[in-house]
Order: sequence, then C-alpha cells, then structure tokens
Amino acid sequence: MIAKMNLCRVNNSSTSKLIKVRNFASVLPNEEYTVTPQYPPIQDLSYLKRLERRHEETRESIKDVKTVEEKQIRLNMPKYYGFKSYILSEDYIPYNNLPLIQHVTRTHLIVDKELPEYYRRVYIDELVGKTKADIEEAISIEVEGQKRLHEVIKEDLPIHEVENIFSSSISKQINRIIINNLKKAYPHLLDVQVDNDPRVEACWYAGGMVPPENIKRYREGREWTKEFKDLPTDRLMSYEGKVNLSLRTNAPLPAFVNYSEAENPDFDVPFFKYDPRTVGTKTLHKRIVNVPGFWPGDPNQFGILSYHPRGHLHTRERFNDPQEHKEALHRQGILASFAWLSAQANFLGFNTFNDITYPLANQLVITNGQTWSFYAYQLNTMLMHGKYIEKNPKKNICWATPELKLYDNINNGKVEGFNDDVLKVLLKFYGNKPEKRLGLNMTPYLRHKEKLVADYEDDEQREWLEREYKFLVSNRPRLVEMDEMYHWEKIYKKDHKTRFMDKKLRPFELLKKPQDRTLNDRLGKYIPRALRPGLPRNKGRRAREFWP
Amino acid sequence: MSTRWYPIYQKGGPQLRVFLPNFWLKLIKPTTEQPANIVQFSCSMQMTKFDIKNYLEKIYNVNVVDVRTRIAMGKTKPDPGKGYIVKEEDEKIAYITLPKGEVFKFPDLFANEMKPEEERDKALKEAKEGHNKFLEKNKNRPSLPGWFNI
Repeated sequence: MIAKMNLCRVNNSSTSKLIKVRNFASVLPNEEYTVTPQYPPIQDLSYLKRLERRHEETRESIKDVKTVEEKQIRLNMPKYYGFKSYILSEDYIPYNNLPLIQHVTRTHLIVDKELPEYYRRVYIDELVGKTKADIEEAISIEVEGQKRLHEVIKEDLPIHEVENIFSSSISKQINRIIINNLKKAYPHLLDVQVDNDPRVEACWYAGGMVPPENIKRYREGREWTKEFKDLPTDRLMSYEGKVNLSLRTNAPLPAFVNYSEAENPDFDVPFFKYDPRTVGTKTLHKRIVNVPGFWPGDPNQFGILSYHPRGHLHTRERFNDPQEHKEALHRQGILASFAWLSAQANFLGFNTFNDITYPLANQLVITNGQTWSFYAYQLNTMLMHGKYIEKNPKKNICWATPELKLYDNINNGKVEGFNDDVLKVLLKFYGNKPEKRLGLNMTPYLRHKEKLVADYEDDEQREWLEREYKFLVSNRPRLVEMDEMYHWEKIYKKDHKTRFMDKKLRPFELLKKPQDRTLNDRLGKYIPRALRPGLPRNKGRRAREFWP
Repeated sequence: MSTRWYPIYQKGGPQLRVFLPNFWLKLIKPTTEQPANIVQFSCSMQMTKFDIKNYLEKIYNVNVVDVRTRIAMGKTKPDPGKGYIVKEEDEKIAYITLPKGEVFKFPDLFANEMKPEEERDKALKEAKEGHNKFLEKNKNRPSLPGWFNI
C-alpha cells in the first residue's frame, strides 16, 4: 500500500490506473466466488512435462490453421534452412531395413498368397479372358517388338536402369489395356486420373529411437537435462518416391477392415530402437515436403493404385539372400504406400501431429513386367512421434503377396506360361470401387469456407501464400545459403582460442545460430518508392506478409 | 598389398620370408548403440570396402554381408611443448554388417580386473583389519605405547 501511495506521489498519472483496478475489484465479486472452490487442474511442473505441454500446444494449434497450404507452411515454420531429415529413398534399401521401416511407419505386415478377405466381393473372372490377349500382345511388343532409346544410341546403361525403363513403359501399357477393357463393367474407371511418373514425397516424425551422440552431449552439459540424457528423440523421416504410374479418383477406397481393427493387439509392430544411421540411412537438410503427385485443390485427391519399379533390387544382389530379397520388396511396398497415403492425408488437412480421423486405403504394385508383387495398405494412424510411438494403440496394416510370375518367358513373340491368377489379382485392384464416405467430414481440420489458399479473396494474400508454398515444396535451396563456420575457424577460433585478438565479426562469434533461424525471420519484399505514391518516404517500404 | 620398402632381391641374396602388409583391422567398441549384427572396426586408410570384406572372409572366415566406411577426422590439440595446434592422424572406420540373427558382443577385456572403487574398499578393509589386530594384541597392556616390546 505504501508503495502504491509513493507511486501516486511521484507520478500523478498512475493514480487513475490504480483506482481503475480497485473499481473492477468491487464489480466482480459475484462472478469471482462460487459455493465450492474451483481450482485449475494441477499440472506437473517438471522441466520435461512443461516442454511436452508446450510442444503439444504448438502441435495442436496447427489444427486451427485454415488451409492446406498454410498448414504446410506452418509445419516448416521452425526452420528457415530446413530440418535434418533421415532420407528414406524408395530405391536405396540397405540390408535388413524392414524392421526400421515397420517401426517408423507403425505397420503390421501380413504376407499371404491371398489378398485380404475384402477382395472376395470383387468379381472379375469373366473379364480375365478379354484382357489377357491384349496384355500378352503388349508384353511381347514391349519385350521384343521395339528398340528403346538407349539401345538405338548404344548407351551402356546399368541393368537396373534398363529394367526401370522397361517397367515404366510396360506398366503404362498394362494400365491402359485394363482400363479400356474394364471401364464398361466398372464405370468408376472412366473418372480415374492417371499420372505418369508423378513426384511423390512425404515427411513425418518418428520417435522411440535412441538419441544421437550430439544430443546426448548437449543434455549432459546441463544440470536439469542430465537425468534424461538417454530419452528417445524424434526424427524427421523424408520419403523420396519412384513411381511409374499412379491412379487417383475423387472418392477414397473403402477401408479393408473396420477402423476399430486398428487397435487390435494381435497386430504387432517390431520396435526399432537404434539410430537409423546405424543401418545405413543417410541424412540431409530438407524442408518438410508433402507432395502426393498433384497440387492442393485437385478434385481427384484419393489415390487408388500405383505402379512401382523394382530395378533397384539388382543393386543389392551382393547380399545374396533370398529372404532379404523378399523383405526388401515388402519394405518398398510398406514405405511407398504409407508415404503416398500420408501425403494425401496432408492435403486433407491432417499431418504428422494431427492424426487422421478415418482410415485411408491404397493399393500398390511393384513390377518389372514379369514379376509382380501386390500390396494393400490401410492407413489408420499417422501419430508416431514422441510418446505416441508407444502409447498410440492404432497400427497401420499392410497385406502383401509374395513375388508372383505373370509369365514364364517369351518365345518368337509368343508369351509362354501366362498365369491367369496373377492377372486376376491385378484386375481385382481395378475392380475395387472407391466410395464417397457419406455423413463423414473428410476435412475436419480445414476451415469450412477456405480450404485452400485459392479460396482467399484478398489477391495479395492469395498470391503471397501460393508463392511461399510452392517455393517451400520446390526443394530449391535458399538464394543466400546458411552461414557456415569454416574449418580453419572451427580449429583456430572455436576449439582452440588462438585468435582472441581478431575482431569478432563472424555470425558464430556474434552468438547467432543460423540453423535456428525461423521461416518468418526476414523482411517482406521491398516495394520501390515509385509504387507507393502519397505515402511518406519511410512508410510502406515492405510488402505485407501472411505467415499462418 | 604393401607399401613397405623391401630390399631388392639380388641373385644369391637371402630370400625375404616375412611379408608385412600394411593392411590391418582393429575391433573398436562403438560409442553409440548399434544392432547386434553390426561390428565396428578401425582400419588402415588404404583399405577399400572390398579389401575389408576379403580380409575378414579370407583370414577370419567371417561372413560379411555389407561394409560401410567413413573417415573420422583426427582430433586437434595444442602441442605440449610449443603450444601451436597439431592434429592427430585421420582414421578410417568400417561398419561391418553380419547376416541377420547373428549376434556380436564386444568382449569385456577387463572383466577380472577390479574397479577403482573395489580396490579402494579392499585397501580400507585391510587397513581396518590390521588396526583391529593391533588393538587385540595390545588390549591387556593399557597405557603402553605400541613400540614398547621385549
């Protein structure tokens, strides 16, 4: 009280503020008091729990971001120069990679000659004969009836590239033939959008793996983080796809099994606790990019089938292990299915932190024309960061067939030993009819009015967001690259202080951390003076920015 | 494979019977946790992945599935006498993948040796015992110094 009185004597203007506060106090009592005392929830105030709550809050706040593109920008917000990402390439499969991929995609794998029971409802038997003749002809023409560019110019391509070229063209031919033959019986194929060589990329966080050495050292260096130096850290997984062909429609495929099956405890997923780099995964600095082969706003945003090459298997023949060969295929099938579906889910307003609210399904084929593997995948959850890797009861499910041979060999333009059963499986994938999910809000986390940036009416805002989004997902580096510490500086300035008299001008000497620069840590675009008439010289220099 | 300078053979000279290659592998304990089928080696800088694979397969009969290598930079430190910065040699590290299911456990070389705490405890115990023995010996001769003996 005495302090307040003194304040009034020194500064007369603060008197009114103090009086105002007193006035409020006299107005509120009825609302302020209740019969039974109501306390705020008791929160654990330990460092770790506070950190977790802060992360949870920022991650939940992504749900409120209005549009698809803005959500992607928001995900990228923490890093101007990109995140350290663990690169999961589709065509680079290190030895024994399946457990890692099952862990980071939370996938239960079911290998069986038969597809899931769901496919019994798809009848295609009478269409096999009709399609078979066309496919046989296409195969013989592809194999024997033409010369490819590398053969004409006598370029010596490695065997896996030759196989990929063949795989790409044969899958396009077979897809064309099947759609032409089946479209009468299955009219949904008329509306299918076919993408040739689409760009598919996806990013997600996976947890549960031991921290890298540098994080351990960092935690050991501070008193309050010492106790959990071995706590698992999240890692950003980045998928780079290699797709021959993808088919998509405006309605999703029905789920193969009930959504509640996702929590079935019988479905087990191997837990991989090691650093992915210990099994040959590489890292790169990249921005978070989710591209399912089309741009936001495309009405056909649900994938139904994709064809993938398998030439890369030739590059791992040195392992010389039939079991490993099979697992590599399953790894490709699981990873490609999960990543494509997860990229699609990102366009529906979900992301690695905001889980999907309904299952999504996908069908996938890995082929070189002769050998075929089929995968049916149901995406039930995308939450696998932090505590969710252990606590999330939901798992994704992948049904896989072993390698199947479509034909034995080709003799004088005739296909010998054609296997109808393999064709039947493929036709069943085409006969699986997508269905609109009635009464279900497919985009619960997108704003009703503005689902896409294109829906904004403000021209400047729309153009700015579009430009920013397209740059982020372009994978192009920044015009000015990140400040680096040169090696001589690390030795003579950082590790050993041999040049303490030098003027401190470099970013690391000025306590700047270029790697921690946030996406919005920059000035807006400069507007030339001539374009802002009527304004004072120092006003309106920078264009507006619309960070979500 | 050797880069050593061997004396040129002259007719009638002694046959050189010892061939010393400069290929070597040193098993090292990994700093980070690794799957049980991955083994870490330090090797001579000249060795390629193929050399490492052949070395282990041909000499030690180890089935090697995959080899990954990296070159770790040597540490820098001030020279003890002169104070300028010197750098240790670079080192090639090889990660060997064994077939699935095989388990390699880094041997505990000093299992029989005592830890410093154990050593300290043992010395303390011995000292206590000695002191008790001394007290026991002198309990019937109060107020006499320990050296007072016949």
